[in-house]
Amino acid sequence: MLDALSRLRTTALDELSHATSPAELEAIRVKTLGKKGELTLILRGLGQMDNEQRATLGAQANAFKEEFAQSLTARMEQLKQAELTQRLEREWVDVTLPGRPRPPGTLHPITKAQNEIIAIFTAMGFPPASGPEVESDWHNFEALNIPPDHPAREMHDTFYLPPSPDGRKRLLRTHTSPVQIRVMEGRQPPLRAIAPGKVFRCDSDLTHTPMFHQVEGFLVDEGVHFGQLKGLLETFLIRFFERPLPVRFRPSFFPFTEPSAEVDMGCLFCAGQGCRVCKKTGWLEVLGCGLIHPNVLTNVGIDRERYTGFAFGMGVERLAMLKYGFPDLRALFENDTRFLTRYA
Amino acid sequence: MKITLDWLRDHIATDLDPATIGARLTMAGLELDALIRLDQGLEQVQVGLLETVNPHPNADRLTLCQVRVGEELLEIVCGAKNHRPGDKVAVARIGANLPNGQEIQLGAIRGVTSCGMLCSLKELGLATESDGVLILDPATPHGLPIAQALGKQDVVLELGITPNRGDCLGVRGVARELAALTAQPLRPLEASLVEITAPEAVAQVELNDPEGCPRYAGRIIRGVKIGPSPAWLQQRLEAVGMRAINNVVDITNYLLLDLNQPLHAFDLNRLALPVVVRRAVEGEILRTLDGLDRTLTAAMTVIADQARPLALAGIMGGEESGVTEATTDLFLEAAYFDPIRTARTGRRLELVSESRHRFERGVDPEAIPMVMERATRMILDLAGGQAGPVTLHDGGTWHAPTPILYRPERVNRMGGIELTPHAMNTFLIALGCQVTATAADDSRFLVTPPSWRHDLKREEDLLEEIIRLYGYDRVPTSLPRLPATAPIPDPIRQLTGKIRALLVGMGYQEALDYAFVSPAIQQTFQPALTPLALINPLSEEQSVLRTDLIAGLLESAQRNLNRGNLRLRLFETGRVFLPQPDGTLQEPERLAGVLSGPVDPASAHVVARAVDFFDLKGDLESLLSALTGALPGFTPGGPEFLHPARKALVALPDGTPLGWMGQLHPGLMEKLDLRKELLLFELELARLPENPAAKHQEATTSRFPGIQSDFTFLMPERTPAGNVVQAVMAVDETLIRETRVTAIYTGSGVPEGSKSLTLSLLLQASDRTLTDAESKSLSERIIACVTDGFGAALR
Repeated sequence: MLDALSRLRTTALDELSHATSPAELEAIRVKTLGKKGELTLILRGLGQMDNEQRATLGAQANAFKEEFAQSLTARMEQLKQAELTQRLEREWVDVTLPGRPRPPGTLHPITKAQNEIIAIFTAMGFPPASGPEVESDWHNFEALNIPPDHPAREMHDTFYLPPSPDGRKRLLRTHTSPVQIRVMEGRQPPLRAIAPGKVFRCDSDLTHTPMFHQVEGFLVDEGVHFGQLKGLLETFLIRFFERPLPVRFRPSFFPFTEPSAEVDMGCLFCAGQGCRVCKKTGWLEVLGCGLIHPNVLTNVGIDRERYTGFAFGMGVERLAMLKYGFPDLRALFENDTRFLTRYA
Repeated sequence: MKITLDWLRDHIATDLDPATIGARLTMAGLELDALIRLDQGLEQVQVGLLETVNPHPNADRLTLCQVRVGEELLEIVCGAKNHRPGDKVAVARIGANLPNGQEIQLGAIRGVTSCGMLCSLKELGLATESDGVLILDPATPHGLPIAQALGKQDVVLELGITPNRGDCLGVRGVARELAALTAQPLRPLEASLVEITAPEAVAQVELNDPEGCPRYAGRIIRGVKIGPSPAWLQQRLEAVGMRAINNVVDITNYLLLDLNQPLHAFDLNRLALPVVVRRAVEGEILRTLDGLDRTLTAAMTVIADQARPLALAGIMGGEESGVTEATTDLFLEAAYFDPIRTARTGRRLELVSESRHRFERGVDPEAIPMVMERATRMILDLAGGQAGPVTLHDGGTWHAPTPILYRPERVNRMGGIELTPHAMNTFLIALGCQVTATAADDSRFLVTPPSWRHDLKREEDLLEEIIRLYGYDRVPTSLPRLPATAPIPDPIRQLTGKIRALLVGMGYQEALDYAFVSPAIQQTFQPALTPLALINPLSEEQSVLRTDLIAGLLESAQRNLNRGNLRLRLFETGRVFLPQPDGTLQEPERLAGVLSGPVDPASAHVVARAVDFFDLKGDLESLLSALTGALPGFTPGGPEFLHPARKALVALPDGTPLGWMGQLHPGLMEKLDLRKELLLFELELARLPENPAAKHQEATTSRFPGIQSDFTFLMPERTPAGNVVQAVMAVDETLIRETRVTAIYTGSGVPEGSKSLTLSLLLQASDRTLTDAESKSLSERIIACVTDGFGAALR
């Protein structure tokens, strides 16, 4: 009987090792250890044995059961592993194929630049403000100390519209400075705002579009001075262009500021060495600013002795071009999707 | 404005180089726009003496010349025919880079080495055409740089002069500025009076318009000889871009540029004294020097004689009274014309001139007698003649500059600087101001600006002068101290910000269009609205203010399609301009968009499908529910330019109309030559709620299980599914959580004219599990609602 058990062991383990599927393994298990299996047959003769023989055979049968179970599990693992390997192989994809395209939308570069500008000034405490694009002569010119025959009107090629029903002249605003007037009218300092918007001038060539964008900012309070204006704009330029930059203030003329200044920053493209972009000067003109002209304060009913203010204005197109590097101004309003994608 | 370095040095003994001068002026407000060396390209060209001219050994048409340049003798091959031994010529040396771009290199021409080139005027950049090489005055010493021989050594500074600094529109004015900046004294102007040699030649003047002409000086000069100006004068005028004409005209132009005082010389024999300064007669006609007939108005000032107008005061002379080659006697005018009058007349006639440019910015009225003397002296020197006495009329309407009160303490406070009163006064005095202390403690001064500075009127103007001379860059920087605030946001700005973010997330690209469009295009889209037209448009295409966004956006779409960009998802936010019945204008903010082309970009993974009505509708549903917290309503309808069966009006759930969406009308597509279907929408932003109501009502999620139940109905094909859904939802507003259309089918198995519509409902209570009985009764009511209400049958 011991021999029979030994034969069974050899055959069963051999069968296990050759099985090729879980089902086959199960069949072998049933055939070997099942109720009518071969081990049961062998153990049927156990009753006629003496105690010693019975103990020996029982121990051997248990050892076989143990061994069989272990082999079965091991083989099962092997088969599963092989099956997984096959499946993985079947599930091959060509990873070099491009993904399903999901092109993101894009903000217009002008919006992007405007948002960046506004974010910096908002963080510094200047709330955004806005005004109409069709303006009165008063808000666009006269209140800003540009009387009808001032030579400075020639600096603004104005688009005119038929007068409003009350007979007042209407025009497309030539700058965002009228927002300054609208915020100050009927209010008292401290006043401050940052005003982005579209502006219009009847001028169209390679470097001018009849519509463009400006951002105007101003502050009126007691003790406001020119040094603060310098500090504010220097900080702005360094934040906007995200690098340390030399900034210089040059005397200039705007009818609505006195003193007035143009602000230049070191050329981004040649580090001030002189190149085509900066016309060999090493400087790029980026902003206009100054202390608000006392006539402007008087025009909106603010005490010019008690309060001082500063104002500044910048062209968004220019800043955007410098920061994002698109070459042609006119492409901005063609809305070619390739342009919009490239400069987003 | 252009000046030259030599010219500037006539007025100030500066040894600064031109770049430094330019930099100093720039930082003082006179911006250097360009620095042009007149000898650019001529640096390596010298005068040479032709010692021998022999035929080239290997070429009939060439000559081989031996040219003496100083100590050197050069052998040069030359192809010209006009040169002879003994001539003085211009020799470009090896390495020269000529103004016409030609580079001179050592090289053999037909086997003979040529050590340079003999130049023509054209090659020297001095003429556009020239014949043969330039032959110089025989007295010119060889070896001399050609720039020196031709008077081309000067440097031109081109300065940008701002409108407030009319006083710097003359070389003297720039020199004054430089003197103040560098503490270098100005050279005094020769001020002696010219001897009057024709005392009987009295310049009779009647000044009848003192308002338009506060100061007028006239003088007769007899017996002048008109001819060309001397070379130095011609060269100076040409260097700054003014054409030389004849000695008398050149002198008036020269002094305009030098002393910023426009002058006019009349031919005395072409007018009848007295000269009258008066208002023009309405409708009077004057032919100006540019040959155009100008119709004058009574608001303009003219110089006239008894018979007719002679000149447009301060702007341009008349053709009939000007100086010609035949002129012998002059009536010379130097005046101060009112800036505003000059500006108005010039603008009205659209006449731009150097003279107008200066008078409208204000010249120096005090300088008129001095300029008159200088002009006379130059004319006598260069054209001969005898001078009569000067007639000077003061209209009494120009005022001496008003003294300005200034307080150094306030100037320091506004400037953010700490200068002593003494330092400030030093700057002001350097600019020609008179400063008088009016308080013992130096706290107040009275400042009288010089007569040429019309821009100095207030304390703030003096502040600018002081920090300008001190240097803007030396003003210490700081930051303003602002109180902390949480500013009230601009609602439209916030809304457009959210919209942009949402649409960009959905793959849309933001566009920006001009606010003005073609009236024809605008008419196509908004036939009922008359847009506001610009009075002075740049072109017909941009002549009216847009009354919607879609017209411009559609043009952008078309441009893209023409360029082969077929997959379009564009949107724009911006203002439209709506004229109101009462004549006023409103500028509401709108949102519009265009959708066209394939849903997805072409790839191996997807089957191409063009966008349709429901792609756009889905996008708008997402956008508007994100903005308002609820799904918008869509009802059939919309503007005429949309496909009549594929358009919808978009509204808030409460019925507030927002705008429209739909497909472009095929008829219009053809008219606009559009080949691709376009889906469009436009919405009014002000109608969107500023703050969507927070959803505090009932938790939308229930922890009790819901019952998913599907119903398929057969119903007439054109039954609006939206209405069915609405009706079903109304059956039980608390238990029916959701009703979705999950399938629509027409075709085999469905009778002609009918459709099969599947609704998927979620039935759920928030406080309990629904019983079978409850759900059964609810289902029956739903079925009844659809079958009874829409003539449908359950399938």
